[in-house]
Amino acid sequence: MSTATRETVAGRVGDSAVRPDAALKVRGEFAYSSDLFADDMLWGATLRSPHPHARIRSIDVTAALTLPGVYAALTHADVPGENRYGLDHRDQPVLAEDVVRYQGEPVAVVAADHPETARRALDRIAVDYQVLDPVVDAELAMAEGAPVLHPECPGGNVLRHVRIRRGDPEATAEVVVTGEYRVGMQDQAFLGPESGLAVPAEDGGVDLHVATQWLHVDQSQVAHALGLPPEKVRLTLAGVGGAFGAREDLSMQVHACLLALRTRRPVKMVYGREESFFGHVHRHPALLRYEHGADRHGRLVSVRAEIVLDGGAYASSTPAVVANAATLGIGPYQVPNVRMDCWGVYTNNPPCGAMRGFGAVQACFAYESQMDKLAERLGMDPVELRIRNAMREGSTMPTGQVVDSAAPVAELLRRVRDKPLPPPADPTDPRDLPGGVANTTRGDGVVRGVGYGVGIKNVAFSEGFDDYSTARVRLEVLGGEPVVSVHTAAVEVGQGLVTVQQQIARTELGIARVTVLPADTGVGSAGSSSASRQSYVTGGAVKAACERVRDTLCALAATRLGREVGLVDGKLVTADGAVAASIADVLGDEVIERTVEWRHRPTFPLDPLTGQGNAHTQYAFAAHRAVVDVDVELGLVKVVELACAQDVGRAINPQAVLGQIHGGSAQGLGLAVMEEIQVVDGTVRNPSFTDYLIPTIVDMPPMVVDVLELADPHAPYGLRGVGEPPTISSTPAIVAAIRAATGRALTRVPVRPDDIALAGSASRPVPSRPEVPCD
Amino acid sequence: MIPFDYQRAEDTRSAVATVTARPGAAFLGAGTNLVDHLKLGVAAPDLLVDVSHLPFDMIEPLAGGGVRIGATVRNSDLAVDPVIRQRYPMVSAALLSGASGQLRNVATTAGNLMQRTRCPYFQDVTTPCNKRRPGSGCSALEGYHRDHAILGASRHCVAVHPSDLAVALTALGAVVQVEGVKGARSIPIIDLYRLPDDAPQHDTVLEHGELITAVDLPALPMATRSTYRKVRDRASYAFALVSVAAAVDVERGTVRDVRVALGGVAHKPWRARRAEEALRGAPATDDAFRAAAEAELAGARPLRDNAFKVPMARNTIVATLRELTRREEP
Repeated sequence: MSTATRETVAGRVGDSAVRPDAALKVRGEFAYSSDLFADDMLWGATLRSPHPHARIRSIDVTAALTLPGVYAALTHADVPGENRYGLDHRDQPVLAEDVVRYQGEPVAVVAADHPETARRALDRIAVDYQVLDPVVDAELAMAEGAPVLHPECPGGNVLRHVRIRRGDPEATAEVVVTGEYRVGMQDQAFLGPESGLAVPAEDGGVDLHVATQWLHVDQSQVAHALGLPPEKVRLTLAGVGGAFGAREDLSMQVHACLLALRTRRPVKMVYGREESFFGHVHRHPALLRYEHGADRHGRLVSVRAEIVLDGGAYASSTPAVVANAATLGIGPYQVPNVRMDCWGVYTNNPPCGAMRGFGAVQACFAYESQMDKLAERLGMDPVELRIRNAMREGSTMPTGQVVDSAAPVAELLRRVRDKPLPPPADPTDPRDLPGGVANTTRGDGVVRGVGYGVGIKNVAFSEGFDDYSTARVRLEVLGGEPVVSVHTAAVEVGQGLVTVQQQIARTELGIARVTVLPADTGVGSAGSSSASRQSYVTGGAVKAACERVRDTLCALAATRLGREVGLVDGKLVTADGAVAASIADVLGDEVIERTVEWRHRPTFPLDPLTGQGNAHTQYAFAAHRAVVDVDVELGLVKVVELACAQDVGRAINPQAVLGQIHGGSAQGLGLAVMEEIQVVDGTVRNPSFTDYLIPTIVDMPPMVVDVLELADPHAPYGLRGVGEPPTISSTPAIVAAIRAATGRALTRVPVRPDDIALAGSASRPVPSRPEVPCD
Repeated sequence: MIPFDYQRAEDTRSAVATVTARPGAAFLGAGTNLVDHLKLGVAAPDLLVDVSHLPFDMIEPLAGGGVRIGATVRNSDLAVDPVIRQRYPMVSAALLSGASGQLRNVATTAGNLMQRTRCPYFQDVTTPCNKRRPGSGCSALEGYHRDHAILGASRHCVAVHPSDLAVALTALGAVVQVEGVKGARSIPIIDLYRLPDDAPQHDTVLEHGELITAVDLPALPMATRSTYRKVRDRASYAFALVSVAAAVDVERGTVRDVRVALGGVAHKPWRARRAEEALRGAPATDDAFRAAAEAELAGARPLRDNAFKVPMARNTIVATLRELTRREEP
């Protein structure tokens, strides 16, 4: 018996374990889905509608098929299963039938021996369109008499209406501020456009290698459209270049499989950047009307709000986004009287769905703008006002749900407020000034402003959804050393989930060598890499599977050794702490493998009339302080510093946590000052990274970040989802800072130079609100 | 993309002859703009004659005290050239405020001048555009036109010229050297570019097959005190909403001479002659600058969504002149 000191393996929970993909990505050697290759493969291409709304009289692919090198040209008539897919409900055709409802809607697909041949084949497909007037205004789409875009939808163009009623909806207050706010359409702007490779299989099925966010939800939709049983549609995750919600819906998945099954050849599809803008959903543009009532001490009495989200042509995840915007739309505040109505609406604009923040982003811009307005009206400090109304553990949401773990809203605000302010800009370094290296400003007319924002987000899926993940953990001895392999279908989108799984296995089993197998549908569903949920849910599943493996190992050891032992730091240890055996000694050639389906606490639907219900399982919070310099003559903004404080429950990988906070804040900065898909009459006018602007290193300032770790007793390791909260509060903080510098009202994001400083700039006309039907 | 032939030009004469003889031919420089247009279907030449390696890569002094910039000098090289930086800082500043480092490393001087508008309708072949398809109409008039012209536009086209370099060269009064089948000619840059009128398909007065071989900068001593300011939606890698190239000569608080050109406001780089006239002999004060700017912009005819460009241009002119004159008068 040995009593030697035991070594703790590195790379456990709480360590900034090194990511296996980090060096590869930095060196440009990581294999993304667009790098996939197979011998004899064909290239697929998609014919898309140039019109946002049109009737299709006929489609003729004959001329495409006569082009040498073309192997297939398919339309809706070639879809063997039901020609429908969709996340929430299946309302979207794989290939358009008699109507196209948005610009860029797929109409036909071709496969050819070269991508250029495939593109030329598209030019030979004749589509006879009868162009229809597009429905492009979400409020008008709700009105009586608007053309109905989906006749099967019971609410007309209203896809979902969530109403929340709490307290006295007619409550009056001493001080009332109202505001109307708008949020433009933001793109996820991931780096790796949609791509994948479909390989026909001998069993009549297909193997699809693809960059996605949720393998199993893809699998079920693809199988449904192909008319195949799910087991004949096998998905393997290919290298993902970012997602942010844009890969939740299908893009080329069914198309590539259709072409592969038709041609009996592997078919690769890769979108270019322009096509990518039409290949995925975007963040919902929103119109938000708020009325905040408070007593003269600044205590909130009531909030009344109406939010209209433009869902675009198909449902995607709009119903869930509507619920989020509604349930989180009052913000992290205690408000006794609430009346909230939120609508998601069909139009002929590009379909909108999941994007980091998922409905909470739009609402936060509005309610935080309102809090600043209220503070100004009351003559109060905006942080003080927020702290006075801040939600805390034990507070009740407008849905009646009690927040039953840490909700350090006031603490987060105090932390960002109390950070030292950055020094004045160096007027000799243009990089520090508004306009950056274009030499735009010499410091004349530059005014500094400081603003705050705090936000709330739900973690994981809500409203009674059966949200779970599956992990298979295997322990064996290889070369005399114990080795763990972890197999899940959870998608690494770049957030560091592979590393998190390794860290959890090392922590639970004390074994250094942990292999995370490629994610595929050979194991049960992991749910989506979205809603800030994977560390929680797949992390929970891996932890639980490791515990089962550990229990089995200990039972086996007890049988072999004749006494009770536990597993401590990778060794089998008796009750007195002495090492009884190594894993290799006990296990020998045996393999222990356990698969666990793990669920977070259940959630419940919202009452359709009152919006009451325990709809969410966990809440997460972040606060930002933004410091900006504004050239008020030219309308240019330089964000000088972003400070963020966020509670993450437990930082599983501290470096990855910081990465999420930095990246999320940058995405919020983009929405604040530059990012917007310009849609005119249903058509996208800036589908490129030259014309759709995302922040560069010159725009994104250094960050000061405080990470709090207040454990949630309900979550594995006490962790709290990290990815979304920083995206939510950075936008209103930046806009508040610009308001502080300029005195302008700034009710719409992104804020652009024309909105800030310049008299005579045209304001956008706001249509008056039509009567809206209730579903 | 439509199939095309590719030829590497052997010399200027043959390149010019080849392109002139073939209506569907085009010159290829670095391709940073043209190749995009090939992909989008905006341009469909049947022959590309590559002139990027022709021996026009020198920056040389001219007899009269000016400087000749070869047509194939790369934007990056031009921007850091010591003579350019010292004598024509606005040229350097304009180049460095445009595109990205990668693009500037390959883009040529002539290619920069010949780049085409970033109007979204020009780039979207499914929409009407008189510049791309004469007679089809202008989609920007009633569509997306926040980035478009406020000066000199017509009902046929409201696009703006995208080059930063050309704005600085217009302020300087540069002269473009051109080679054609009928021989060489010199065109002041102010005359090189056209207003759209009823033929916006023509950005310049160049005939098909004419090739820019060099750009000559005049001596212009006051250009040592010049700069270029660019206002845009993002701090790097974005086109100008408004830009100003200016040089000023001030003596004892009075403007002796001045050059001002605007970018992002018209179909061509806009030489602000009215502002210049108003400023000559005027005191170097904000009020005079503002009055001069307003004189120039009195003719502005903004569209529904770009009225902001008028005050933005005014403020940028004032700020640029203020910076230059403050620098000059210690």
